[in-house]
Amino acid sequence: MNLALVGILGIIVLLFVLFFLGMPVGFAMAVVGFSGFAYVVSFDAAVSMVGIDIWTTFSKYGLTVIPLFILMGYLAFNSGIAEKLYNTAYKWFGHWRGGLAIATIGADELFAAICGSNTATAATMGAIALPQMRKYNYDTRLSSGTVVTGGTLGTVMPPSVLLIIIGLQTEQSIIKLFLGGILPAVLLGILFILTIVVICRINPKFGPAGPRTNLREKIKSLTGVIEALAIFVLVIGGLYAGVFTPTEAGAAGVILTLIVTVPSRRLTWQGIINSMKDSLKISCMAFVLVTGALIFGRFLAVTRLPFIVADLAASLPVSPYLILTIILVIYLVGGCFVDALGFLVLTIPIFFPLGKALGFEAIWYSIIITMVTTMGAITPPVGINIYVVKALAPEIELGTIFKSASFFLLACIVCTIILIIFPQIVLVIPNMAR
Amino acid sequence: MRALDKISNLLNQVLLWMAGFFLVAMILMTGANIVIRIFWMPIRGTYELMGYFGAIVTAFALGYTQAGRGHIAVDILVLRFSQKTRRILNGINYFICMVFFAAVGWRIAIYATTLRETGEITETLRIIYYPFTYGVSLGCFVLSLVLLVDLLRLFLGDREGNG
Repeated sequence: MNLALVGILGIIVLLFVLFFLGMPVGFAMAVVGFSGFAYVVSFDAAVSMVGIDIWTTFSKYGLTVIPLFILMGYLAFNSGIAEKLYNTAYKWFGHWRGGLAIATIGADELFAAICGSNTATAATMGAIALPQMRKYNYDTRLSSGTVVTGGTLGTVMPPSVLLIIIGLQTEQSIIKLFLGGILPAVLLGILFILTIVVICRINPKFGPAGPRTNLREKIKSLTGVIEALAIFVLVIGGLYAGVFTPTEAGAAGVILTLIVTVPSRRLTWQGIINSMKDSLKISCMAFVLVTGALIFGRFLAVTRLPFIVADLAASLPVSPYLILTIILVIYLVGGCFVDALGFLVLTIPIFFPLGKALGFEAIWYSIIITMVTTMGAITPPVGINIYVVKALAPEIELGTIFKSASFFLLACIVCTIILIIFPQIVLVIPNMAR
Repeated sequence: MRALDKISNLLNQVLLWMAGFFLVAMILMTGANIVIRIFWMPIRGTYELMGYFGAIVTAFALGYTQAGRGHIAVDILVLRFSQKTRRILNGINYFICMVFFAAVGWRIAIYATTLRETGEITETLRIIYYPFTYGVSLGCFVLSLVLLVDLLRLFLGDREGNG
């Protein structure tokens, strides 16, 4: 059988195993990749490849960055840092129409700078902001939508687990990916805030103004931002200046988070244990995904399918941006059905060489893809952030949360279009670091 | 079945605590390396030890993550099937993964034995590293055990629960 055809068949089998057996994405990629490799090369070579690949991936120094950054995020999640951030933002914006929702996005932006997970960001801010917005009679369509979409900032703003995985899978510099995510995350946050302003202008009942605070209180509240800023500056600043490797930055972030939160007793022993357990689980899941993708990638590489697809797409007499649009639509639709991380890992072996063949800058392309895939976290039917908020506020209908998130989807799409038109927004900081 | 479940839980708990211990060691070692490097010189072998400790952290959490359904799966279609169909599909899923990870564990154990017999050592610290390789193999076997318990629970669980 033609090798490329075997590759296509492998992808069909993988989709079947994923959707009909419900096999975890990482396991499915490893099993199908192994079987395909055994068919194309030999059974013995496949067994040997899988064993060695799992050992070398698990013991790779570069991958030790994963558990450290995840632990840093979970420590922040369990420590109450987010509450202080929200308080500061609340003091500054709470008295505006829709001010509490704006404060939520502001606090999300800051919390995302120390936590790399969108679900952890949504869960943390939801637990703090939803009761406040309920208290001031915010419409649930605005409050739930704000929390759901604000969480997505966690995947674009460094340190982002998604960007770490992309960096490891495509052998790009994690530092440059992190730096490339800063301005897009800020832009996305501004567009979310604009969305809130427009919604509250059209219907002021959605977000009634909260109590006013004086300048003294506002300035005093700024102390709440210092801890998070200090952690962010140390971690990302250290990476930017070349003082740390990404792994060292993760460890430094963990230590600093502990120094900041343990003496004030905001992070309890139980909080630390819970953070460790959650981090071990999530980083194990991420390792399995990366290893599965590597094994599946080896199978695809022997079929040469990714290169054939890339060459074919590059030779088409159409604009690369038309092909990019098709890729982004696939990511948008795929992200609706498969978890963002899972879908990214699944598609990178095909779409990354394709983007390279089309001449796209790797960091810019990675950020664009991350942005689009992240939208899947707020769209039906598997929008993970939606379920996080539903768990926090069971009285809000699932349909209402999905509808409210759709207000903000437009902001995500506009942000992506702006980044496509002005790639400098992504590239300016990584280029400065060169 | 219950005994197997208990053994699996106990193993996962022990391995999880050990994974946590190695994670703490990774943080302390990296932190110490950063500080000592500023005043004197880097701690030798930090990079290679970090890699091996990381391998243990991940491998020892494999079973716990599977037991807690921590791996990303696409269940959107599966959830629409009848209870019986779902049970059969899950059974096939667990069986394939169980065999796969048992085979992987066995292959890695063979590799570890080769490392032991040839006296392979690390580049910087010049120490043996096959115990870490055996550790990854153990992690795969424990994951396979958890999948076996899942499989048995699927078909025997209810009956045992009623009895």
